[in-house]
Amino acid sequence: MAHEATIPRGAMLRTVFSKTLRDQRKALAWWAAGFAGAILLYSSFWPSVRENAEQFNEYLRKLPDFLKNLLGQIDYTTPEGYLQSELFVFLAPTLLIVYGIGAGARAVAGEEEAGSLDLLLSVPIRRRRVLVDKFAAMLGAIFLLTTVMWISVVAFGPLFDLRVGLGGFTAMSLNTFLLGMVFGSLALAVGTATGRRSVAIGVASGLAVATFIVNTLGPSVDWLDPFRLLSPFYYYADGNPILNGLDPVHALVLAGVSVAAFVYALWAFERRELTA
Amino acid sequence: MSDAIAVEGLTKSYGSTRGVIDLTFSVGPGEVFGYLGPNGAGKTTTIRTLLDFIRPTRGTATVLGRDSRRDSVEIHRRTGYLPGEGSLYERLTGGEYLRYLAELRGGVDWRVAAGLAERLDCDLSVKIRGLSHGNRQKVALIQAFMHRPELLVLDEPTQGLDPLVQQEFHAMVEEVRREGRTVFLSSHVMPEVERLCDRIAIIREGRLVAVEEVGDLRERQVRMLEIRFAEPPRPDLFDGSPGVSDVAVNGDTIRIRVAGSIDGVVKAAARFEVVDLMSHEPSLEDIFLTYYGKEGDRGA
Repeated sequence: MAHEATIPRGAMLRTVFSKTLRDQRKALAWWAAGFAGAILLYSSFWPSVRENAEQFNEYLRKLPDFLKNLLGQIDYTTPEGYLQSELFVFLAPTLLIVYGIGAGARAVAGEEEAGSLDLLLSVPIRRRRVLVDKFAAMLGAIFLLTTVMWISVVAFGPLFDLRVGLGGFTAMSLNTFLLGMVFGSLALAVGTATGRRSVAIGVASGLAVATFIVNTLGPSVDWLDPFRLLSPFYYYADGNPILNGLDPVHALVLAGVSVAAFVYALWAFERRELTA
Repeated sequence: MSDAIAVEGLTKSYGSTRGVIDLTFSVGPGEVFGYLGPNGAGKTTTIRTLLDFIRPTRGTATVLGRDSRRDSVEIHRRTGYLPGEGSLYERLTGGEYLRYLAELRGGVDWRVAAGLAERLDCDLSVKIRGLSHGNRQKVALIQAFMHRPELLVLDEPTQGLDPLVQQEFHAMVEEVRREGRTVFLSSHVMPEVERLCDRIAIIREGRLVAVEEVGDLRERQVRMLEIRFAEPPRPDLFDGSPGVSDVAVNGDTIRIRVAGSIDGVVKAAARFEVVDLMSHEPSLEDIFLTYYGKEGDRGA
């Protein structure tokens, strides 16, 4: 057959799940490389930070309260404290949330706006099956990035004598994964319900910023404090899991929010009128 | 055998003016059915309702004997769809795109897809991003035909195709007809549906204006003829010819409106030396005039 060669095998084109990941393979490779590179860099700083840890701690004690809240109970003399401040306060959650929101917003709203959703849904597959695949692909990608982070710390850390307790570190990694899933799922839900990517990105990242601020300022602003319980960041970091290990209830709350957003998306997608 | 498509009282309101109002028609199995109307008349709305992308405000649509809402998955399995607008995945090649949709359909006979690609002269190894509009349309056509569906629902299928490819497309529709499969195709150009279809529904501003056999339509069709003679013609030249109206003489050229057969006109003109004869394709407005006499404000 002359044309046989032009119709490729395409193992990654068998399902919506694998095709969605295939679309992301280059982007994911860059994200992973950047993430691993940043961790290598931070690991290489550890020996000099440890030498001056007392000065860092002194500096911390002078910070205003909200910045202390932001950083958590950090002790620069321990590898865990260093990792918490450099990785888990800002870098890791930001990366996974930003990636998650992008993936969630693309899932349905992105296809709809690009005009490719009609043909995708013209095949004999239920809408909910398409959404399950898209959600699973987002989960897979966020999990992959989390795993890259975990391996990078475990592999690069010891090169610079940065050795963390695996239990607490793994717990914090899991929470970061769940935090990415929370905002990714919110973006997916909003995008599926509205069909608009910009709305999905706007709502999800707006919520991320707002709940971050609530959780950070809560301890120093009395009236705000009760609202911390509404912030995913509270369940992400409260109780210092890197030292104290996983709080299963907190992890379940994060997972529950993600699942609830996804279930809402399933419900909304079945009822949606798709824009051409 | 039940109808391939049966639409009853189908209404889709969007609040504003778009949408369709109380459509009722059916398409028999094995029929090539044209859905004719100007852009914005509601053709795409109807089609996307048949495929359950949007849901009727009132009324029902039955496709291949199945309810469009409840049984959409089975309908999709047995139907090939060509969207009027929208896009393919830019980052896949044409071949990868077909592979993806085929996998989601549970596999197709690749000889059919490859054969179609060859007929349409479509290079499947190029990324869709790099394809012209016409070539994208070819890929979209292949995916609609490749699983040899019982029903083809094609929204403006020849948009952007060059004439040679259009010919090939016409041949593909002919084959589908010969095999007893059904085609529902929308268009805003009369000659295309006239050539391909057995019956035509005409839709305007969301309402069904008429459903006609192509033969009947042709009999009632209005044409504008322009005939140039060697010498200035007499204005009463066509007085005895049936269906003639709006005669205008301008020097050696005469312009007339002819309803139905043009045989009488041609024979009357043939008594003089004819230099040129032009028949203008009737515009959709002309066709509506056929149905309304005057501006189309009589409801369906």
